[in-house]
Amino acid sequence: MTYVIAEPCVDVLDKTCIEECPVDCIYEGDRKLYINADECIDCGACEPLCPMEAIFFEDHLPEKWQGHKQSSAAFFVELGMPGGARKVGKTSNDPPEIRALPAQNGSDG
Amino acid sequence: MSTAHNADLAIVGAGPVGLFGAYYAGVRGMSTVLVDSLEQPGGQVTAMYPEKAIYDVAGFPAVKGRDLVDRLLAQAAPFQPTFVLGEQATELSRTDDGFVLATGAGRELRCRAVLITGGAGTFTPRPLPVGNEYHGRGLAYFVPDPTQYAGRDAVVVGGGDSAVDWVLMLEPIASSITIVHRRAEFRAHEHSVKQMRATRARVITDAQISAVRGDPHVAEVEVTIKGQEPERLPCDRLVTALGFTADLGPLLKWGLVLDKRSIVTDSAGATNIPGVYAAGDIVEYPGKVKLIATGFGEAATAVNNAFVHLNPNRSLFPGHLSEHPPEQVVAAAAST
Repeated sequence: MTYVIAEPCVDVLDKTCIEECPVDCIYEGDRKLYINADECIDCGACEPLCPMEAIFFEDHLPEKWQGHKQSSAAFFVELGMPGGARKVGKTSNDPPEIRALPAQNGSDG
Repeated sequence: MSTAHNADLAIVGAGPVGLFGAYYAGVRGMSTVLVDSLEQPGGQVTAMYPEKAIYDVAGFPAVKGRDLVDRLLAQAAPFQPTFVLGEQATELSRTDDGFVLATGAGRELRCRAVLITGGAGTFTPRPLPVGNEYHGRGLAYFVPDPTQYAGRDAVVVGGGDSAVDWVLMLEPIASSITIVHRRAEFRAHEHSVKQMRATRARVITDAQISAVRGDPHVAEVEVTIKGQEPERLPCDRLVTALGFTADLGPLLKWGLVLDKRSIVTDSAGATNIPGVYAAGDIVEYPGKVKLIATGFGEAATAVNNAFVHLNPNRSLFPGHLSEHPPEQVVAAAAST
């Protein structure tokens, strides 16, 4: 069980969630942010803060964004559990399906 | 039991599961000492969601986080557990007849067995950008005793439930009360925010504390609203409620078998170190579900197994408490 960041984050990367996460488990890619499912403690602090409303509890992820669960897992295949995003910084581990998304203008449409 | 020990059982982590462990240890006649890096008991519930309703604790259709912690404290109280709060358990070493648990404050606790209920790890209050050196000299992370704020100029920093609740609690008694939040919107319950805005509390949003001054005690703070000149406010009580960060920290180095930063236990709650048990969110085993509800069961299992580990000729099952209630519990119930 975990929280998942979905499409509305793409090319926005607001990062309010990163400031708030008590276990520093939200990692930055080139196109969006990703929650490390193995490090997330399911506290839910990030969900209401996202100005894009991009964060969902896994089971509440809208059907159209289901793929983001898989993309999140893919992002961490190489990284594993570094135990904190701050020391890792921005990485270019975005999986191909996220890289392939058209540039977003920041609106939710 | 040997008097050379501080307690039979040392419990690392005073969250819900640790508190229930202290109760069960009491039922089995074991003395306990609970160690927690937070200054207040309740662990993650106290730090992250004291005001949220919890809907999956057996027997409670809904219970507020804070109330659950209060009830757990009341349940354990008849057995008089010792609390060592505000000190992180840093080292665990074996002795001939048990363990020594050392804390970051240099305290050494001697015990015969250990129960680790460390949850997500050490919760550390998130620091202010400036002025954290005033902690204990006018700056606090919790408000356990509002009477200390009577007639004082209080400033609360933060935008969540804790910050707003403390403002509501202190507003009637403080000489002045101000809340400083770095965003425009509060995260706290809408109802509480409305209530707060109706009081005389001064609400400053989109602002940060840019300086804390006073010698040796906090005497004033400087508040800077985004894009404006700093303003100086008299302040002799500064409370920060900026959330917490959690880190498993030192216990990763205690020689315990881990899986993905969780402690591996067997079905008895035993770790790879004989005499060291674990329960709650920090534990991993096949099929583990991280819930308060499962943590309570794990604590009961671990404590009863720890008891038999220390008393090999005694029964693992504590007996039906309804037939033979612990005398301390009966006495406590009679006095209320």
